[in-house]
Amino acid sequence: MDDVRFDGAERLRVVVVGGGTSGWMTAAAIAKLLPHRASVHLVESEAIGIVGVGEATLPHIRAFNERLGIREADFMAGTRATFKLGIEFRNWGRIGDSYIHPFGTFGRGTGEVQFHQYYARLVHAGIKLPPIEAFSMACTVARMNRFALPSTDSRSIASTFGYAYQFDAVTFAPYLRRLSESLGARRTEGKVVRVDQDGETGDVTAIVLEDGRRIEGDLFIDCSGFAALLIGKTLNEPFQDWSRWLPADRAAAMPCRTATEVTPYTSAIAMPAGWRWRIPLQHRTGNGYVFSSAFLSEDKAAQALEAAVEGEPMASPRFLRFQAGRRERSWAHNVVAIGLAGGFLEPLESTSIYLVQQAITALLELFPDRRISPVDRDEFNRVVDMEYDRVRDFLILHYHATERDDSEFWNYVRTMPIPDSLAEKMELFRRRGRIVKYREGAFLDASWVSVYLGQRVTPEGHDPRADLPSIDSLVAGLEQLRTEIRSTAAAMPDHLAYLDGYCPMKAAA
Amino acid sequence: MPAPLDGPMRRVVVVGGGIIGWSAAAALRRRMPSLAVTIVPVPPPANALADLVPGTLPSVVGFHDDLGLRDEDAVVRAGSFYRLGTAFEGWAGKRPSYVHAYGTHGQPFGTASFHHHWVRAAAAAGDTAPFDAHSPAAALARAGRFAPPISDAGSPFAGIEHGLVLDLPSYAAMLSAFARHVGVVVREGAVRDVRLRENGFVDALLLEDGSELDGDLFVDATGPQATIRATMDGDWEDWSRWLPADRLLIGDGPPRAEPSALDRAVAMPAGWRWVSETPNRTAHGMLYASADLSTEAAARAFRGATGLNAPAPVTLRQGTRPEPWRANCVAIGDAAMSIEPLEWTNLHLAHSAIDRVIAMMPGHACHPLELADYNRQAAAEVARVRDFVALHYATSNRPEPFWQRAAAAEPPASLAYTLRLFAERGRLPFFEEETFAKDSWLSVLIGQGVIPRRTDPLIDTVPAFQSDQAMAGWRAAIEAALPSFPTPAAYLGAQKRQISA
Repeated sequence: MDDVRFDGAERLRVVVVGGGTSGWMTAAAIAKLLPHRASVHLVESEAIGIVGVGEATLPHIRAFNERLGIREADFMAGTRATFKLGIEFRNWGRIGDSYIHPFGTFGRGTGEVQFHQYYARLVHAGIKLPPIEAFSMACTVARMNRFALPSTDSRSIASTFGYAYQFDAVTFAPYLRRLSESLGARRTEGKVVRVDQDGETGDVTAIVLEDGRRIEGDLFIDCSGFAALLIGKTLNEPFQDWSRWLPADRAAAMPCRTATEVTPYTSAIAMPAGWRWRIPLQHRTGNGYVFSSAFLSEDKAAQALEAAVEGEPMASPRFLRFQAGRRERSWAHNVVAIGLAGGFLEPLESTSIYLVQQAITALLELFPDRRISPVDRDEFNRVVDMEYDRVRDFLILHYHATERDDSEFWNYVRTMPIPDSLAEKMELFRRRGRIVKYREGAFLDASWVSVYLGQRVTPEGHDPRADLPSIDSLVAGLEQLRTEIRSTAAAMPDHLAYLDGYCPMKAAA
Repeated sequence: MPAPLDGPMRRVVVVGGGIIGWSAAAALRRRMPSLAVTIVPVPPPANALADLVPGTLPSVVGFHDDLGLRDEDAVVRAGSFYRLGTAFEGWAGKRPSYVHAYGTHGQPFGTASFHHHWVRAAAAAGDTAPFDAHSPAAALARAGRFAPPISDAGSPFAGIEHGLVLDLPSYAAMLSAFARHVGVVVREGAVRDVRLRENGFVDALLLEDGSELDGDLFVDATGPQATIRATMDGDWEDWSRWLPADRLLIGDGPPRAEPSALDRAVAMPAGWRWVSETPNRTAHGMLYASADLSTEAAARAFRGATGLNAPAPVTLRQGTRPEPWRANCVAIGDAAMSIEPLEWTNLHLAHSAIDRVIAMMPGHACHPLELADYNRQAAAEVARVRDFVALHYATSNRPEPFWQRAAAAEPPASLAYTLRLFAERGRLPFFEEETFAKDSWLSVLIGQGVIPRRTDPLIDTVPAFQSDQAMAGWRAAIEAALPSFPTPAAYLGAQKRQISA
């Protein structure tokens, strides 16, 4: 390195507290991408379990893995991963409903008028159409239980979808640990019992472990999960509570043997006091019931989960407790909270790892000098807050857009006051199918469309420009599109067969 | 229960006979053929800048495409000329002039943005080639050459874009013919009065000849007086503390033999002036603050710089209507906002408003939520354009009181945030509805002398000599290709011959 400012002695000492998924993702990213700027020292305690239920991901994780130089097939084999084309939502709008929120578009490039506007126009004209997912490549492939990598030819209908993974989060952290350590990250086993702060500035100076060891640092990453040892217990950064909109505060998790198809999608099945996830991996199926303790006891939830799972249970239900919301500031003083220490949104749209990843990306781009500039901190918080806030509205939509009145829980979420920002979005969609325009954020137009239509929020009107083509030409175009999607999907291999050829899990892994 | 949905808009009345009014009428009719569009082509007043300023941003090309207007009509026959960028002279103390051209600056390599490599090199050695030397469009413009967008992805010139210098009378005539051709109904006459309903909606326009004109939606393109929209309220957000110029002089001089596609924005003691060249004329303009310069002194300065006699000055009051769309009346162009022509955003903002009216067209009841969404987007857009223009003043470095005051004013919060973040570490914050691309911000920030204190740590893994080599290679590739391009006049000449052939 020809830049003397960042020789070994001047590197920032980064201490990561906590070694779950977020801790090791952070450690690996810094060790890989900023080795000249920072040394990484991760402290974790094997006595403290990791939450590790976030087994389903968003397509963004592929970019993260790529930056870290992780080979997809190797990663998938190591974490017993399967492919994920979207999420199936069952029983949300009404009991018996099912729709898929796809990683991909509806139709293909329709110019400045979105596909769903033409779809709405035909519906308003009294034309009988299948659900909109029939015009999504991702949904169609998913429903057929098939998979192949998307085409890179932008003219092909097979280029109109993306994918993510469903993987064993418990194996992801060790996978990243090996990578981090090979890149020079240090790991120390131990439980933090004390946090030292500078008497004047309040900055964290060191953490002290149970055995008396003291680890000093310049920048501390709080990945201690719900314990929030640094950002919460030490710095007392306030927590914005969102539970009035997202009342689920417990989950019961229980893996089982796979008794049915290994679907290339995650399922989120609405239950009387919340919802249940079903995440098929190569070697087992993850299950869990996310519920609100105000409406259901833990015992009842466990019983309901046990009754609902499709395969032979591989463990008894394990409980998690949480609260929806985020810190006022994820970065305060010289402490950056990443993962559950910074905020929690239930895994309904698989955003946990996504939010971790966005925070890591922002930290890399805004990596501080030894004397931390408030400019870096403010921009980091602005970016992270925007991500949380937009995911929040999207999640609330799932609960609120329902006709269910079969339990107290659904009566509450159906009638609760929602944030104005969401109420306006919903009303604009109801009127003329408008999607409030944002360029940034995890969920863009097609995501909102799929949830709205899938949960019976239907537009009364449509964009007047959708009236331009004749009904006959639109109907013919849709039929052709549907045929093309089906034949392309039907030519793809079965999901499990594709996995077997691409990334079989290692025997005795 | 929500009220039943209102039906679609049917009849739109556009008021204003400048290029904004004609553009709106033509676009609405062409892109929403179910609308009946009537225009009352009241000539715009002299202070309607979007109808007066000849320079445009590259977005004008897309606006023409959406209308189905071809270059031969919109450019060649309408007497337009090409522009690749603007040279800024004397804005930032002793710093050399710089060119803001469109498209990419430098070739990205590695994971960090190109400009971090430049900033690092500039910090290490004082004699680094200027930032704009890495812009293919700026190099073309400086060399007196021109190129249309190039589809060869391997060429450094692949990403360049151009704007236009319009010949306003010919351009207005072309649009008016086009609007009539697509079925816009023309209703000659002036608006004598506006009749409002009790609910605040426009009921009808009363015309000079005693007739009435009603409609579902009224598009006000009458310039700053906002003949229709101002009958509802006069709310105005004032920007003069950041954009202090309030007078404009404008005039045409004789053409130069070989006109340049690079216009000039020259800072003056109490304002600035522009020069835009075309084969038929050289367009001049001068902005100044009446507080610093008397009309007589301004006229002398204008004559001294251009050799032209100064016309009566146009008065402007920079700012925006916080709510351009209210009830069934939407103000566009100078009826919605007023901003000086620095960076040529006037026509762009009017076009963008027209596009937005089309994309977000509400039902005939103009539901408040639909209007709020329109106004939210419009406000976000103009705020960032204001920031971009104000950036030139906030970072200016000149001794005169006009400039000292502008530089001392606390910038709008979003600009202050941008400046702080960029100066600290070369990052541009994300805002929705941004008009200018990242490279445009970089070009002006760096050109004005805002050099980041730190660079992106991700570039440290690329040794400095490698960055230097890559930058030198990029500049060499640009330089080598320059002689193969025609002058802008030669390019336009070839287009003309093709049309008449």
